[in-house]
Amino acid sequence: MLDRCGLTGHHAVECFRQGSAMIDQQDPSPTVALGQWEEALYVIAVHRDKQIYAELFKYFAPRLRAFGIKMFGNEQQAMEMVQDTMLNVWQKAALFDASRGCASTWIFTIARNVRFDMLRKKQSRKDDISADDLWSDGDYPEQEGSHSQQWDLYLIAEKIAPHFHALPPAQRLVMEKVYLDELSHQEVSEQLSIPLGTVKSRIRLALDRLREAIDGPRS
Amino acid sequence: MAHAVKFHPSLSLLEQYTEGTLAAELALVVAAHLDFCPHCQQLRHDIEADIGCQLAQQPAAKAVGDEWQQMMEQILAAETVQPEVSTPHAADAAAVSTYIDQGQHRIEIPRSLQRLAAKRKKWRQLGGIATAKLPSGDQNHLSLLLIEPNTEVPLHTHKGLEITLVLAGEMVDEMGKYAAGDLIINTPDHTHTPKNISNEPCLCLSVLTAPLEFKQGLIRLLNPLQRFFY
Repeated sequence: MLDRCGLTGHHAVECFRQGSAMIDQQDPSPTVALGQWEEALYVIAVHRDKQIYAELFKYFAPRLRAFGIKMFGNEQQAMEMVQDTMLNVWQKAALFDASRGCASTWIFTIARNVRFDMLRKKQSRKDDISADDLWSDGDYPEQEGSHSQQWDLYLIAEKIAPHFHALPPAQRLVMEKVYLDELSHQEVSEQLSIPLGTVKSRIRLALDRLREAIDGPRS
Repeated sequence: MAHAVKFHPSLSLLEQYTEGTLAAELALVVAAHLDFCPHCQQLRHDIEADIGCQLAQQPAAKAVGDEWQQMMEQILAAETVQPEVSTPHAADAAAVSTYIDQGQHRIEIPRSLQRLAAKRKKWRQLGGIATAKLPSGDQNHLSLLLIEPNTEVPLHTHKGLEITLVLAGEMVDEMGKYAAGDLIINTPDHTHTPKNISNEPCLCLSVLTAPLEFKQGLIRLLNPLQRFFY
């Protein structure tokens, strides 16, 4: 787990960059180094450290609440969601896997699932579709590896290559590194010294552009 | 190489699925598509990462008095449960069916449907076509559809959208040929006659949306016959 945190250091740094401006104003003296929420979760999981949890709680609970109010349009439900989500974070910190994304992403997925099941329960529809059905943890053993890569390559060879040159240079560079050189997003981010989020954004934009080149604009 | 899924949900549909704002039945069809489609799985992870960072950037909401303190104390005081490594539907492993039996056919189904498939209603047979309802809300109807080899689905009309995901086998219509993982979206003004011209049964998951929802502009969100990359 520690090794994995090391591998995804960039992740943490990036979350740090994006969050820091706001934290400086609102949370004057957190004892956990900013952007180290991934490490904080690890410490919480292993040492059941209430002090560290308190820091994480102080940062995320008010943000989840704002998020929840947007989603529910209702303060009371938003608070219920925050409590349930933060309880899950405390009890299931050991399930967090930094290799799959940063802490805030993990916390968001918990909040989403909590919210979904909360709404279903309120409609007394316990019997039907649950968050568990909809958002598996993303372990797709057979497909994640070689098939996915083969499929990407196939797509490039067959369909995308002719449109590649029309991409803006910055996007094309990222696309070439990811799809032709088969580098991970992380590696591209390091090579080009750009945040991981920017790598992902450029890929998404490029893909969308390619799709439009082939398919016509989305209506 | 493995069959590559050709017909995908639109990006906006994937976004709403990932956010958790899509109607449950539609979200289930997207989830089942993801079980077949590594590409859309990746997009889902990208969208999750994006929203995660948005959450971290979110300005904090103020709470009244010592609300936060109380909440945190309650959480820390709660009995600690030992986290289990999550296995699919660990809670009710018994109530899961990994395949569908219909007549002489036994067909494997993706994990997102395995719990619900165990709760399906009885098969109703009409000619070479069988349907079984799955639990769903009042607004959208969710069912399994099994089309026997060499069978044509009779021309049918409905007021909502019809969303079909091929789970096994293949079928064709005027627009093309669909195989496992392909997502087909039909609007009311879109008549088509799907056929199974293969020698294997074709199993589909189908959602019919209520007309109301369609009028409210669901169509804007679901690009009909979205086929990005192809």
